[in-house]
Amino acid sequence: MVKFALPAGSNPVKGKLHKNETGATNIRNFHIYRYDPDTGGSPQIDTFEVDLDICGPMVLDALIMIKDKMDSTLTFRRSCREGVCGSCSFNVDGTNTLACTKPIAEIKGDVKIYPLPHLPVIKDLVCDLSHPYAQYSAIEPWLKADTPPPERERLQSEEDRAKLDGLWECILCFCCQTSCMSYWWSGDRFYGSAVLLQADRWVQDSRDEAKGERLTELNDSYKLFRCHTIMNCTASCPKGLNPAKAIGHLKNQVARRE
Amino acid sequence: MSSAKRPLSPHLLIYKHQATSSFSILHRICGVAMTFGTILFAYWFTSAAYGPEAFETAQSIMGSWFGLLVLFGFTFSFFFHLATGIRYICWDMVLGFDMEVATRNAAVITLFALSMTALTWYVGCSRMGDL
Repeated sequence: MVKFALPAGSNPVKGKLHKNETGATNIRNFHIYRYDPDTGGSPQIDTFEVDLDICGPMVLDALIMIKDKMDSTLTFRRSCREGVCGSCSFNVDGTNTLACTKPIAEIKGDVKIYPLPHLPVIKDLVCDLSHPYAQYSAIEPWLKADTPPPERERLQSEEDRAKLDGLWECILCFCCQTSCMSYWWSGDRFYGSAVLLQADRWVQDSRDEAKGERLTELNDSYKLFRCHTIMNCTASCPKGLNPAKAIGHLKNQVARRE
Repeated sequence: MSSAKRPLSPHLLIYKHQATSSFSILHRICGVAMTFGTILFAYWFTSAAYGPEAFETAQSIMGSWFGLLVLFGFTFSFFFHLATGIRYICWDMVLGFDMEVATRNAAVITLFALSMTALTWYVGCSRMGDL
């Protein structure tokens, strides 16, 4: 349901100012969303004065520096620091992206970092992604085939393999999924862009033999057709993929079959 | 801890406006505006069938600065909704999804809607004397 305002207790209030007292000259303010489940209360926006001279170039470098030198309680997910694991997805400077591939230099003025939008917050920048993961498992993202397996792998022509380009690269960071207004208002029933891009990945796979069942499962006014081509998903994808196009392809496949 | 007790992360108020999302919401707003505009048109036309006095009243409402403003908005909504509607049909055929194309088409749609609105009113106003 469309609810523009946040529920009671979710509105962030002004938090602590973590001053930099090292005499650094190249300071940038980082405003970071904080929520501590142990103390409860409202979430806060803390401000950190980050010395860019001792910090790496990416937003994730700044977060790691803050955790190391300014406030060790700052909580966030991160792993590979090179855009292949999909852990450090946040709302940075108003759009969803991976902190590890977002240069601080691309951001004008203060840097604002929020958790991915419209999700329950576990702590600070860590969101509960159980629901999108459950939706992902609902599309049964694995190869389905009734024909007996050949002696070696199931072969695929170069042309058929090329159809998976732009789909297989998805790292499930859910930047696109949580950038979508339709997902904010109807995420309980709408599958969302990341999950639908994955669905298209299996529909397009020449080796998969369950295309018909997959499309039947998706042919629903919510699961697939709650997408209104707002295209925030494609605008936000840090891997440069096009979930909106994948969803367009799925809708087209469903319509062609009717 | 159940997720019901957890705060919900901020969404609409912190998300930066995107060109494509603004067009999506404008498409809807124009559609809703035209629904009401059509009711207004129905009133205008039926008033003519009702009698000279009723038509006179309707004419004075539509001819006032506010009425003209509403009609101008209706004209823009019509051409904007028409152009974005065509874009939706293209999207249904899996055409024009690339971000650069979508952004360029948004500019084309704006230009089309504005110029067609201006043209309609120019032709309308210049023909006024002929009626």
